[in-house]
Amino acid sequence: MAAATANQSRKPFNFAKWAKSRKGQQALIIIGFSIIPLVLLFTFTYYPFAEMAKFSFYDRNYTKVRGFVGLKNYIDVFNRPDIFKSLFLSLYYMGGAVVQLALALYLATIFCFGVKGGNFFKGCMFFPYLINGIAIGFIFKFFYTRGFVFDTVLQWIGFDLEDLPFWLRDTSINNISLVGTSVWKYFGQNMVLFVGAMMSVDATLYEAADLDGANKWQQFKYIMLPSIKTIVMLNLIMAITGSLSAFEPPFVIMSGGGNGTATYFVKMHEVAHTSQKLGLASAMAIVLLLIIFVATILQKLFFKYVFKDAEDEDKGAAARREKKLAKSR
Amino acid sequence: MKLKRFMALGMAAVMTMSLTACGGSDDKPSDSASSNNNASTDNSASTDNNTTADNDTAADSNAGASTGGLTYAGIKLGEDYTDLTTTIKWMHHKTDREEDGTIQAYIDEFNKAYPNITVEHEGITDYAQTALLRLPTGDWGDIMFIPSIDMVDLETYFIPYGSVSEMSDLVNFADQWKYQDQCYGIGYMANAQGLLYNKKVFADAGITELPKTPDEFIADLQLIKDNTDAIPLYTNYAAGWTMGGAWDGYLGAITTGDTTWLNQKFTHTADPFKDNGDGTGAYALYKILFDAVAQGLTEEDYTTTDWEGCKGMINRGEIGTMVLGSWAVAQMKAAGDNPDDIGYMPFPISVNGKQYATAGPDYCYGINKESSADNQAAAMVFVKWMVEESGWCDFEGGYPVSKTAPTSFVFDGVEIVNNDSAPEDEADLMNQMNAESELNFNNGGDSRVMAIVEAAAQGGSYDDLVAEWTQKWNDAQSALGVDVTY
Repeated sequence: MAAATANQSRKPFNFAKWAKSRKGQQALIIIGFSIIPLVLLFTFTYYPFAEMAKFSFYDRNYTKVRGFVGLKNYIDVFNRPDIFKSLFLSLYYMGGAVVQLALALYLATIFCFGVKGGNFFKGCMFFPYLINGIAIGFIFKFFYTRGFVFDTVLQWIGFDLEDLPFWLRDTSINNISLVGTSVWKYFGQNMVLFVGAMMSVDATLYEAADLDGANKWQQFKYIMLPSIKTIVMLNLIMAITGSLSAFEPPFVIMSGGGNGTATYFVKMHEVAHTSQKLGLASAMAIVLLLIIFVATILQKLFFKYVFKDAEDEDKGAAARREKKLAKSR
Repeated sequence: MKLKRFMALGMAAVMTMSLTACGGSDDKPSDSASSNNNASTDNSASTDNNTTADNDTAADSNAGASTGGLTYAGIKLGEDYTDLTTTIKWMHHKTDREEDGTIQAYIDEFNKAYPNITVEHEGITDYAQTALLRLPTGDWGDIMFIPSIDMVDLETYFIPYGSVSEMSDLVNFADQWKYQDQCYGIGYMANAQGLLYNKKVFADAGITELPKTPDEFIADLQLIKDNTDAIPLYTNYAAGWTMGGAWDGYLGAITTGDTTWLNQKFTHTADPFKDNGDGTGAYALYKILFDAVAQGLTEEDYTTTDWEGCKGMINRGEIGTMVLGSWAVAQMKAAGDNPDDIGYMPFPISVNGKQYATAGPDYCYGINKESSADNQAAAMVFVKWMVEESGWCDFEGGYPVSKTAPTSFVFDGVEIVNNDSAPEDEADLMNQMNAESELNFNNGGDSRVMAIVEAAAQGGSYDDLVAEWTQKWNDAQSALGVDVTY
């Protein structure tokens, strides 16, 4: 195409004329509209990120650079047991994420098949998502306090206070208690997303399935689940990345990750803000980013190979066929 | 229909926003609390002058600072600058005193003497961090409470009040923020380090004499447990800042009787946490906490202690003792109907039969170098008035800052000492050691003290914990090339 224009006019390039032409207008508008978001994106996302990546190779605090240390910060991230072990706490939160998604999917399915007062219950379950995480922390601090809300409720149903554990003190269960708060907060949001996706499934499919004698489980398995696969996938990725970066429950409820609940993020916060090892903290952030990348890619691959349907074909194949058809025409 | 939907969306947005706002304000107690923490840990201030860049800026700004003859000592309150008309802005962390109108009342009082100086003030909840962020911008106003910065940076941002020796005649702790023998900060109040207790609980438990050693103290806690319903020692574990922020405050002269230990010897000590065997030193200090928790002399669930709630509890006699600086006295007294039951005693460690207490300033007023000359003068007049005339320090129950203002603070039979500051060439060493070892003594090392409670409650060993600190301390010493001489 460039060659064509060149052949057409050997005249000197006239910007004013070009700007008035259709193509010129197109280009100007595209540049004009995209320059603002691009500048914003660069200034507030990529540039700070590049700076952080640079920090991770230095020994420095907020005001002073003590020197370039190469990969030492990264080596520390993996060598220091307190930092690396905190990553394993994420497993609790990942477990919680699975429970959370299963619960959300279950409830969404029930809502989808019709419940009296469904919208009201949906609202109730979605509500925690709207509450600020810090507030949730304070709610649950009292919730788990000895003899307070949770213990009282359990006593109503027959438990003896003496038999109940200290929900936050006992190190064998306190992480589970914390995960419970994040499940409580997020399952409603997942559920609403699932309901939305399920609503978009053509109702006649269920009708047809009903006529064919399919029960609810079969309808769920063969109609609903395949239709909302994308949204399940999305929710799962968000839940897993979210669990890698869990911060609020341990930070607020356990006063900065005491009692063996310091997750990676909490540890990072302490390294960056209390000990002011900015280089190490930046390295921790980059390592976490890489882990999230890897986790996401693994999930994608997992879904691709485990849930591959026979009818699903490579998207590239369709595109290639189209191209062939167009050519032959 | 479309409009309706739009409105619904708008409503939803508004509701979400308001919810977030609610959530945000819930955070306040912990935030203002953590600023308290910083306040009481300010005494680990520091310097560093090893980079040439710093020296350059120092030289430049020195020239600027020496112009103008404004000094704190030179101002006669009520006589000088009375015709100065200007508006000054003051950034502070005392949001509680802003809300209850105390600060405005002082400003009104100030305006009786200086009607032409308008004082605007801005209370900031998350002060320690916000102030650090706003400091370099230069447009934070005229007066701020100096956040945790290096001594060498003082003259980049603030003007001096006068020489340290000159200021020492007028106020206590003039050397808190000093650089090249100039004083850059004056405390709004000072804290003495002791122990908060409830007199009635002590009497009910049959304690007639205040404990003077760790053993006596633990025995007294046991008496409280046996004879009363009160919690002998409330750890305030869950608040976080009450752990490192409170316990580290007793390091130094109180535990060793040696005023040079904290800022001069600590960083050079090979085994700073060794057991002296006589109930002194850092070992004995933290062992009090360990023993109290291990022997069940604290609240049963440390993870859910409630900072706001503890104030009323000690006031009502449900708590025997709490380890907090004297700044807490005013709050505990205000929290209920029994203000007279709240007592403050020296820390139960005796060195050669003698108890010590340290005192140090809380946040210090600093005056902006970028302000106009008029504003600087007005700001210094205001600071001097606040320190000398307002009575704020005494109102807070603090140890006096001004050497001449009346005070009601009494601490009998105890020698009040100050931890000597670090030598100039090592002023930043403690900060570096803290950062390198991540133990963060007097620097927000809450997780280290929390770990003591956790270990004690879960049957861990105190000696293992201390050995770990020693290891980290020694590693940091070798990483930074510190001479180990003690």
